Amino acid sequence: MATLSDLLDDIVDDVDGLFLFSPNASYYERFADVDTEVVVVSPENAVDAEHHVELPLEFENIKSRVRFGVEGALDQDLVGDGDEIACSIGTFGGDPDTLLRVRVAESMRSGVYDMFVNSRADPGVIRDVFDVAIELGKKGQKGKPVGALFVVGDAGKVMNKSRPLSYNPFEKSHVHVGDPIVNVMLKEFSRLDGAFVISDSGKIVSAYRYLEPSAEGVDIPKGLGARHMAGGAITRDTNATAIVLSESDGLVRAFKGGKMILEVDPEDY
Amino acid sequence: MAPPVAFPRPSAEASLPLSGVADRPLQSIVEDLLIELPARVWVALGVLILGLVLGYLTGIVVRRLLVRVGVPDAIEGTAFERTARSLGSSTVAIISKLAAYFIYGVAILATLSVVRVNVADRFWNEVAALLPQLFVAIFILILGIVFGDKIELVVAERLRAVKVPSIGILPTIAKYSIIYIATLIALSQVGVATLALVVLLAAYLAALIFLGGIAFRSMLASGAAGVYLLLNQPYGIGDEIRIGDRAGVVQEVELFVTRVEGEGTEYIVPNRAVFEQGVSKQR
Repeated sequence: MATLSDLLDDIVDDVDGLFLFSPNASYYERFADVDTEVVVVSPENAVDAEHHVELPLEFENIKSRVRFGVEGALDQDLVGDGDEIACSIGTFGGDPDTLLRVRVAESMRSGVYDMFVNSRADPGVIRDVFDVAIELGKKGQKGKPVGALFVVGDAGKVMNKSRPLSYNPFEKSHVHVGDPIVNVMLKEFSRLDGAFVISDSGKIVSAYRYLEPSAEGVDIPKGLGARHMAGGAITRDTNATAIVLSESDGLVRAFKGGKMILEVDPEDY
Repeated sequence: MAPPVAFPRPSAEASLPLSGVADRPLQSIVEDLLIELPARVWVALGVLILGLVLGYLTGIVVRRLLVRVGVPDAIEGTAFERTARSLGSSTVAIISKLAAYFIYGVAILATLSVVRVNVADRFWNEVAALLPQLFVAIFILILGIVFGDKIELVVAERLRAVKVPSIGILPTIAKYSIIYIATLIALSQVGVATLALVVLLAAYLAALIFLGGIAFRSMLASGAAGVYLLLNQPYGIGDEIRIGDRAGVVQEVELFVTRVEGEGTEYIVPNRAVFEQGVSKQR
């Protein structure tokens, strides 16, 4: 005689790890001492969990959220190739309502975790730039869709591999991305064609830059325009991360090491 | 508080003639009263009423003034203000009440001197001399506590980004330094011997400046150089520079250090070195 809880038994049978996505304190307490490894995946470690993967973006898409968590756990050697894990996630809002069983595979490493955590630039800076790009993609510039190209990190090299298209509006200024007023400035300047160059610590070094990387061996999907090609290519020549907002399809894409590693739809956030 | 003490006095004197002339009509009693009471009592009564009105007005004016200069916003969230709030009051109310009570006190003393109360004359003289000082002392103490609280909040706010638990001692030190100085001023205001405390303060300040100077010497030098570098930008991000034997591309110019990336090495050069050794820009 099968009961409904058998459904769950199949999912959590013999798992090697339990991933709790953004649990609240009491929920974490309940499962903290189950006889398998518990990994907490959340924006910040509010529950003092032993194993914690920091979530820099609240991925709306469950798949990318799980993938990010698994990638982080792989990176910290909490799980290995072939492990079966159970994930408890809140799909609609905060409370956990979904249970997933995932088989960890090395192929799940997409580089998204790597981009946030192991970039030259601070994770917070990349997240701030992402926020600006997503907001710009959602609202556009005065209602019209715009494109933008942010090159984050390794600013010294990027500046040497680019030239100014015109006067740099951020010359002799000390403004940092993430400041609300600066985000408005970035949006205003996004109508200028050219790239924004942002340093490791988030200082906006220049706007209006024409990137001059060599585009050999750049592996980006066909059909993307010159902005994406320039952004992808500069990340192959330097250790920078490029975050590109497409004018035509409105998607935000991130490039690192000459490869596209993340593609998100601003409408999902 | 002043009215209950002050008002029975004339009425008590008024009741004296009343007991002897109980059978006379009411109007003549009042007339007698007006004649029999010495003019001094009327003057005293006038002074007292004037004092009470003045005190009340001072309270209101001080409160309005403090609110107008934005004191409530400035001290929002300090421990003193929160304590005052939990007692159903506020710092502004306490200070304005204090000012009002000061005037009340002066008025009562003036009244007493006008009616020439001879009981313990010297005592009252001393009280009159001490009263202003006492009020100033209390005022300074409140100011010190509020200011200390505020400083603690500000310093804690500045240090929030630094996530080291032991750094939490700094705001507390700043707070108690200020309260200590305020207490010192308040005590000397009332005339308590504070020499020992002043010596202690001097020793503390000397240690703070001396040790602070030693500890932050190179940081201060780098910071001063950094201010120049940030303002004038002799080199910027992307320039190829050489400082001493460290050469490379500038990645970041911060207040205290410049990050220079050479071939496979990232140098973190204190800005002091830029001034001591000079910097050469490669073209």
